[in-house]
Amino acid sequence: MNVPPMILDVRVAPPDRSPVHVWLPLFLLWPLALALGVLAFVLTILADVVLLLLGQRYHHYTVLVFRAFAAMCETRGMVIRVNDGKTAVDVTVQ
Amino acid sequence: MSEDRARILNMLAEGKISAEEAERLLDALDTRGAAGAAAGAAEPAIKGDPAPLMAALPKYLYVKVSAANGDNVDVKIPIALVRSGLKLTSLIPPQAMDQINSSMSEHGMSVDFSNLKPEDIDELVEALREMEINVDSTNGDKVRVYCA
Repeated sequence: MNVPPMILDVRVAPPDRSPVHVWLPLFLLWPLALALGVLAFVLTILADVVLLLLGQRYHHYTVLVFRAFAAMCETRGMVIRVNDGKTAVDVTVQ
Repeated sequence: MSEDRARILNMLAEGKISAEEAERLLDALDTRGAAGAAAGAAEPAIKGDPAPLMAALPKYLYVKVSAANGDNVDVKIPIALVRSGLKLTSLIPPQAMDQINSSMSEHGMSVDFSNLKPEDIDELVEALREMEINVDSTNGDKVRVYCA
């Protein structure tokens, strides 16, 4: 089962100030995203059926939404570190 | 020597897998070859638990950029994300794909993602695991792309 990212861990270390460490709770967004996802699912199913009935070659919007969700789930474990010699920024998707 | 066999031996030489895992992989290759020779045989290529073998495979793509002026950028990308992203491209609507292709072409990247087939994607990702790019520019900038 695909599990979406739960926490965005952001660390910023400015040169002349104490480092900032923030955990952004992405899991709080998922109930809202679930509601939007259900709405998107209904709309894309309708769009795909209409496109199919119209004889359009492309009618894969529903699969596209699912694949996009799967890709978003795979972002877990991604780490981005940027350091310009003075300020260091670390972003970790957990 | 087959390409698969050479790949396994390379992984062993680079320390990515142990000698025991290499032996199991080579056995699996032999089993697959024998199974392929016998028509209709549908035995799994790898017997036993494949988890240790899967664990030995690289899981992340690393991109490290080190500029001469001291700027450093390190990005660690799950290979599963690369695979998902490539699979997603095959579902992008044709109109949007045309725009993406033309925009990439304008920036010097003439890659037509609409030609990517699912079987190509798996092959591409597997090949990616062994890829290593090292760029050392004359002004001191360094770029490293590898999987681990």
